[in-house]
Amino acid sequence: MGTVHARSLDPLPMQGPELGVHADDIETPEMEQESKQEVLENKDVIVQHVHIDGLGRTKEDCLTYEIAGVFRAKNLIDVMKRAHEARQKLLRLGIFRQVEVVIDTSQGVDALPNGLDVTFEVTELRRMTGSYNTMVGNNEGSMVLGLKLPNVFGRAEKLTFQFSYGTKETSYGLSFFKPQPGHFERNFAVNFYKVTGQFPWSSLRETDRGVSTEFSFPLWKTNHTLKWEGVWRELGCLARTASFAVREESGHSLKSSLSHAMVIDTRNSTILPRRGALLKINQELAGYTGGDASFLKEDFELQFNKRLFWDSVLSASLWGGCLLPIGDKPTCIADRFYLGGPTSVRGFSMYSIGPQSEGDYLGGEVYWAGAVHLYTPLPFRPGKGGFGDLFRTHFFLNAGNLCNLNYGDGPRAHLSKLAECIRWSYGAGIVLRLGNIARLELNYCIPMGVQSGDRICDGVQFGAGIRFL
Amino acid sequence: MCNLPVHVSCRSNAEYMSPSGKVPFVHVGNQVVSELGPIVQFTKAKGHSLSDGLDDVQRAEMKAYMELVNNMLLTAELYIQWCDDTTATEISRPRYSSPYSWPLNQILAYQKQWEVRRKMNAIGWAGKSLEQVYEDVSQCCQALSQRLGTQPYFFNKQPTELDALVFGHLFTILTTRLTSDELGEKIKSYSNLLAFCRRIEQSYFEDSQAGSSSRGYSKGPSLF
Repeated sequence: MGTVHARSLDPLPMQGPELGVHADDIETPEMEQESKQEVLENKDVIVQHVHIDGLGRTKEDCLTYEIAGVFRAKNLIDVMKRAHEARQKLLRLGIFRQVEVVIDTSQGVDALPNGLDVTFEVTELRRMTGSYNTMVGNNEGSMVLGLKLPNVFGRAEKLTFQFSYGTKETSYGLSFFKPQPGHFERNFAVNFYKVTGQFPWSSLRETDRGVSTEFSFPLWKTNHTLKWEGVWRELGCLARTASFAVREESGHSLKSSLSHAMVIDTRNSTILPRRGALLKINQELAGYTGGDASFLKEDFELQFNKRLFWDSVLSASLWGGCLLPIGDKPTCIADRFYLGGPTSVRGFSMYSIGPQSEGDYLGGEVYWAGAVHLYTPLPFRPGKGGFGDLFRTHFFLNAGNLCNLNYGDGPRAHLSKLAECIRWSYGAGIVLRLGNIARLELNYCIPMGVQSGDRICDGVQFGAGIRFL
Repeated sequence: MCNLPVHVSCRSNAEYMSPSGKVPFVHVGNQVVSELGPIVQFTKAKGHSLSDGLDDVQRAEMKAYMELVNNMLLTAELYIQWCDDTTATEISRPRYSSPYSWPLNQILAYQKQWEVRRKMNAIGWAGKSLEQVYEDVSQCCQALSQRLGTQPYFFNKQPTELDALVFGHLFTILTTRLTSDELGEKIKSYSNLLAFCRRIEQSYFEDSQAGSSSRGYSKGPSLF
């Protein structure tokens, strides 16, 4: 909470040696003091003015919505609470480095006896911030240059540019974000990007150059995002030994798709939540706005968390998805789903479950994956209250399956195919939470239900990522 | 010509599927081999070769003529298709961009054109006019015609790799529609080359395809 200064309503007379007090005089002011001291909580106040000091390029009209709530305060404690809420709202716009609140009595000609002035003293972020990082990973080193312009036109618009120059690949992205003034949760963003990726499990190299626009808005308790994306995809083989099935997918294609995502998130944290649930449903329709790829893709993610005895948490999650091609062209390897690895079904190598050809995994059109975790604090709780709180031990049970749709067999046959030959695994490990975004895991896994063609990683497996099953 | 069973498959992304970026390429079992030279060596390693009967002098001569064809005919074909503005606009770009949708088709067609023009710059053909290119083609055909003479094939009575290569280029030139027929006419003016093409087409391809005009817009036979 920031600093809140408040001065009392009635200024008391100053006492000091210059006044030359008599004994009688000393007595009287003190009695006056007691009678004038009032319980500030119950005193009705009116907020007469709310100022924001320190604005440079920010336009005031978009801020009036955030601070409007302060005017409705009825007493001093209410003023303090609403001022704190307004401060949080101003900070979440992402355009101020610091916001301080000063509550003072009204001054001036039209000052009421119980009038208050609330002033927000803000420090704007610099017009442009840059960052430079070097990254090493996956046998590649790269230099990442970032440029951020917060509050470009004065109404919390944000422009970011990122450029990554590596030994193998180069990628860049430009993104513009604009929230609706007064409703920060309603916003739209435009992105231009070129991204390259190497997927050794499929011996595939993919270069995407694309543009996307998305529009997010909340609706009751859910958050919706509508997005149009146009991508020029270039696929190539990573090695001369790539299988012919992957070689056949090489070349250029254009994907133009509309997608809609709905998220309901009542968890208290994204990483290692203690309670709450998450439901994410995503659908993507490609082909009706141009482009070569034509499909309908559905994807959902479900997670429940419940706190049990002794500070432990039981978590259950379920993922699933389906890719239906429209028309007679087969699906592209870049659109299909992949399963396996330290972030999904643990105990198997990265994305190494399901249909494969000569050791290259081709992905599948339908999949499901589920998990049950029991998170407990570290045994004997070392470093409690500090570093030790970032760690958890967990016991897990993962299962999943991935297959292709053999058209013409009907949905019942597909469901039965997904139910047979289930891959599953169990084990235990340690989880480390990194900020509020990522987590690291070190697990001992025992994979079961392994089918021919899957690659397993039994024993110790390390994983790092953002989204875990 | 080696009497090996082959199935030809046409794909729009054949150029990208090839390990070296060039067509044609063959997919045999687990192996993928691209371009004529490596394919010939591959079949030779498996025990089939068209030039077994040649001695060293003839083999060297064959290689020289194959280089001539590659340097002259191939480059002329590329020049006429991509460096001549009318042909590029009316034929080559629409054809190259046909498998893709807008705007990708425009991007890829122009990319290919710039790539070919850069290559022409590098080998010094950029400054040539269309007439000069036609002259070069004519000279190349004259050399081939002289070597062929009245024989059925370039070396003895058996076809060799040179026959296959020359047939491929000449057949393509004769059957591909361009903005003007001048190139085809130049070839036709050498009657023995024309008879040579017809003979090979009749002996090896008549049973597997309807006729010489079925090729239409294709650049040439691609072996898969």
